[in-house]
Amino acid sequence: MLQCIFLLSDSGEVILEKQLTGHRVDRSICNWFWDHTNSQPNSYKQQPVIASPTHYLFQVCREGITFLACTQVEMPPLMAIEFLCRVADVINGYLGGLNEDSIKDNFVIVYELLDEMIDNGFPLTTEPNILQEMIAPPNIVSKVLSVVTGNSSNVSDTLPGSTASCVPWRTADPKYANNEVYVDLVEQMDATINRDGVLVKCEINGEVQVNSHITGLPDLTLSFANPSILDDVRFHPCVRFRPWESNQILSFVPPDGQFKLMNYRVRKLKSTPIYVKPQLTSDGGICRLNVMVGMRNDPGKTVDSVNVQFQLPPCILSADLTSTHGTVNILSNKTCTWSIGRIPKDKAPSMSGTLVLETGLERLHVFPTFQVDFRIMGVALSGLQIDKLDLKTVPYRFYKGFRALTRAGEFEVRS
Amino acid sequence: MMIVDMLTLTSWKSEVSDLKLQLRQLAGSRAPGTDDSKRDLFKKVISNMTIGIDVSSLFGEMVMCSATSDIVLKKMCYLYVGNYAKVNPDLALLTINFLQRDCKDQDPMIRGLALRSLCSLRVANLVEYLVGPLGSGLKDNNSYVRTVAVIGVLKLYHISATTCIDADFPETLKHLMLNDQDTQVVANCLSALQEIWTLESTTSEEAARERENLHSKPYVYYFLNRIKEFSEWAQCLVMELVAKYIPSDNSEIFDIMNLLEDRLQHANGAVVLATTKVFLHLTLSMADVHQQVYERIKAPLLTQVSSGSPEQSYAILSHLHLLVMRAPYIFSSDYKHFYCQYNEPSYVKKLKLEMLTAVANESNTYEIVTELCEYAANVDIPIARESIRAVGKIALQQYDVNAIVDRLLQFLEMEKDYVTSEALVLVKDLLRKYPQWSQDCIAVVGNISSNNVQEPKAKAALIWMLGEYSQDMHDAPYVLESLVENWDEEHSAEVRLHLLTAVMKCFFKRPPETQKALGAALAAGLADFHQDVHDRALFYYRLLQYNVSVAESVVNPPKQAVSVFADTQSSEVKDRIFDEFNSLSVVYQKPSYMFTDKEHRGTLEFSDELGNLSINAETGDSVVPAQRVEENDKDLLLSTTEKDDVRDPGSNGSAYNAPSYNGSVPSATSQPLADLAFSSTGATGQAPAPGLAIDDLLGLDFSVGTATTPSPPPLTLNPKAVLDPGTFQQKWRQLPISLSEEYSLSPLGIASLVTPNALLRHMQSHSIQCIASGGQSPNFKFFFFAQKAEEASIYLVECIINTSSAKSQIKIKADDQSSSQAFSTLFQSALSKFGLP
Repeated sequence: MLQCIFLLSDSGEVILEKQLTGHRVDRSICNWFWDHTNSQPNSYKQQPVIASPTHYLFQVCREGITFLACTQVEMPPLMAIEFLCRVADVINGYLGGLNEDSIKDNFVIVYELLDEMIDNGFPLTTEPNILQEMIAPPNIVSKVLSVVTGNSSNVSDTLPGSTASCVPWRTADPKYANNEVYVDLVEQMDATINRDGVLVKCEINGEVQVNSHITGLPDLTLSFANPSILDDVRFHPCVRFRPWESNQILSFVPPDGQFKLMNYRVRKLKSTPIYVKPQLTSDGGICRLNVMVGMRNDPGKTVDSVNVQFQLPPCILSADLTSTHGTVNILSNKTCTWSIGRIPKDKAPSMSGTLVLETGLERLHVFPTFQVDFRIMGVALSGLQIDKLDLKTVPYRFYKGFRALTRAGEFEVRS
Repeated sequence: MMIVDMLTLTSWKSEVSDLKLQLRQLAGSRAPGTDDSKRDLFKKVISNMTIGIDVSSLFGEMVMCSATSDIVLKKMCYLYVGNYAKVNPDLALLTINFLQRDCKDQDPMIRGLALRSLCSLRVANLVEYLVGPLGSGLKDNNSYVRTVAVIGVLKLYHISATTCIDADFPETLKHLMLNDQDTQVVANCLSALQEIWTLESTTSEEAARERENLHSKPYVYYFLNRIKEFSEWAQCLVMELVAKYIPSDNSEIFDIMNLLEDRLQHANGAVVLATTKVFLHLTLSMADVHQQVYERIKAPLLTQVSSGSPEQSYAILSHLHLLVMRAPYIFSSDYKHFYCQYNEPSYVKKLKLEMLTAVANESNTYEIVTELCEYAANVDIPIARESIRAVGKIALQQYDVNAIVDRLLQFLEMEKDYVTSEALVLVKDLLRKYPQWSQDCIAVVGNISSNNVQEPKAKAALIWMLGEYSQDMHDAPYVLESLVENWDEEHSAEVRLHLLTAVMKCFFKRPPETQKALGAALAAGLADFHQDVHDRALFYYRLLQYNVSVAESVVNPPKQAVSVFADTQSSEVKDRIFDEFNSLSVVYQKPSYMFTDKEHRGTLEFSDELGNLSINAETGDSVVPAQRVEENDKDLLLSTTEKDDVRDPGSNGSAYNAPSYNGSVPSATSQPLADLAFSSTGATGQAPAPGLAIDDLLGLDFSVGTATTPSPPPLTLNPKAVLDPGTFQQKWRQLPISLSEEYSLSPLGIASLVTPNALLRHMQSHSIQCIASGGQSPNFKFFFFAQKAEEASIYLVECIINTSSAKSQIKIKADDQSSSQAFSTLFQSALSKFGLP
């Protein structure tokens, strides 16, 4: 069980400390932790589980803030890590972004949240919906409201009804004038392409995001036209397992508001919507670079926000790169970004130029990996299609909306 | 520096006294808007506290200001009080009053918060004020207050155990746990009681019994039936409990797995992993279901790896690594999941490389090695090194290394110093295992200039190859000579040691060319300040002086290829880690006893290794229960009783295919075991005779087996001792280990092990009965018991025999601790006679 949680700034300063059990953990552990991580090579700094001489430490880093938890007893490491991730998510959601100042400005709220999320080292509730009922977020709406009503407390007067209900994720009886449900398919394509242009690996990690505003206790069913393409699925606790197992139907009582209904994975995709072809030839201390980008399989919608980024190898002294479309930027840390935006219909954009190698080096031995970014609105590239969404138990008419979006996840091209 | 410190210190001091003054002014004020100004002040105090400034001197003022109806003010005040009460026990008394009043507030939220703060004061002399509010908190009609009160009881227990026990709180919690409507209350009761009973059980038998009871059928079923109502975190807690439950028969196992199956689809990785643990532990004794479980958990775990944050992937990957060690084939077709992404942090990449090494087999090696070679050109140098090492490890575990050798040799030509270094070390190991590749490798290694190799390990490897293959490398003597000339510039003793040996080897093969280098090397070695280098040089010198041909047979005897490099982790350690699945042990790749103190092992400590000794303890049944011990990957089972359990659990309509155990199964499974064992002894020993000769030469193991067999002490055993598996299991759990020893076994004994049940019959003839056995070569595990003649005193033994090292590890537990040494001697003498004619 966790004994203490610290929030550290990016300079190692303790922003917040929350002791959880009677075994008080001294702050000096943070100094040890900070010295330890700084002594590690850069890429190992954020190792999630660390043994200090006195405690086991779990860390999760988000936006420069380190969420550090300590324990002295054996416990499932993933539980601690998952919990810290949830803490980070919840605080992020409450404060509308994570940074040192926002936490310092709202540390009372953070304390209140931690108080309800964990007691005596054991996690209690981490559902954002439920927490929002206990502790109102510090947004403008609630500020305005407090001025109008004269109730200056940001704590709701009532306890969430659902703590006693059998649907722990849903608040008791919300009421809406317009009943509506929006379902979004959000997909990320992870792909690795080797230097011969062969697809080494390509898969899609997708999410079904639902935003539901329905009066009462609605029972929804959502079905897909082609559920067989899904390789593996993960559900929000509200999804009933049996209907899925027997008929691949998602049957659930939704939480109120925005939530992630399900995650899925589709493996072994055969192609990517765009191609990126880097060519590097080096001789006599000079390396010629040429990168071509173009459409491979037109998904029927525009591909935009196309972006190619790569790290110049350390042995390169200078680079001179130009593009036929979009802009090329080289930062001082040798990160090179080529922002293309939308790929023009008529001509495939290309970037080319020369890289000057370190003196004494004839040819290039370390080759950069090109990371590609793109976005396609209106298409789920996995091919997953929603068949229908039905509402049982509540006799309202309601508005349904469906959207789809595919983004590049870890899309990398080796050279 | 000092002045600056002094200045900041005074500014703090003035700020604190300023705050003190302002708080005082507000304390009595009832003017409108007071709460707002109080809130600002409280915020300042708390923020000072947060940055670590000591504001404990404001305690009195803070308490005075605490009379308010504003809940945020209250919360800040609780926070402050909780932080400083322990250092101000006298002042803490001041807060009791208002906290107790708040405990009776109308608003359940305030009642809960006040109770939580009251219990968090943790001041020993205030416990008397806790009992009342806690008692009414546990009976509160609001579940929020009850959840807080339950944890409050645990906090009270930690402050004063006796007060908690005297107030009979554990009994109340037990009642709540079994009857409360709210599952969060139930879950908190469970975690509180587990902790309280575990700590109490050292002194109170009743608590120990209660704790045991938690793992009994009624409790486990009660929690399982409500599993879906629990919060995700509470589900983890319940799973932990279920993983320790020992079901009475197979249909029960299938029922539990069917009930929990959808938990594998949970969005929370912790739940998925906890469920995985339950599945794996439940099916340990059922080989084919266990395989199905691996298939079933594969997809959810892989999804967690690819969709979670890097931190989550890290934790899951550590567990996958453990699984793949036990069942390498499970992920062999999913190897692409372990390909590294450019952006991943190194700690994830490193684990993925380990996974790729572990899943490589004949079918996927080519793809995996191709992928690993990509990483060798990576910008991240540590990962590039790791991936080259991974290629080497794969080469050493494969039979067909044709393609891999080419890749390794390409590394040597990459002209990057760290790549060359790593590759050299690997080529050396490869040659030790596959000497047939020496021609190809030497041709490439010969082109490497020793000046370009700086790292000691790589240099040592290069020098070793120069010595070993000096007959094939044209300029070996001259390269060695130039290295000897630079003796003083060589800082690593390891390299100098290798240089000495290499020059010697070279000398035996090409004496005229090497003589000069040898003389120089021995002279330099004798003058070396490093003790080992000096000693080795002296040793070589004297050997040569004595007789050159003897020296050659010592320094450069014909070598056999290394068939298996020693594994750093014993299979017992791996099993222990597996028992502790879903714990820190997995991340550290060490069982908890190797890195935690006893007192810190906590409530999650795995009860005992008996958890994987699954015995069907249906004593009421007329059927003699099957006794099985699961030991190794493939779960080959040996049944000691000829009558086996005849049961057909497939009729419960479960999704899992139950294996049907019938009379023919034991003989069918023991047959392949015998085959396997035969072939493995053939492979490891190649020729048993040299093995014996070495034993003889060193005068170690063999003599223990024959010459110095200890004579049996005057302890006599009951030749007809009886013990049913249930009792064995119970006793094994209760008794402490009284002796833990390691014996050597005679090679003849090891050879006899391949005959099924031979050891069991042998031990039986010494009045030591076997209750369960299992395993496969090289590790066999046996559980024995014996009874003292004319006495009820029982001895229990766990005996693990490793056939490749000819060692047996014995753990003895005894009712009568005093005679366990005598019994151990008896056991050892019986064991040492095993296999002798």
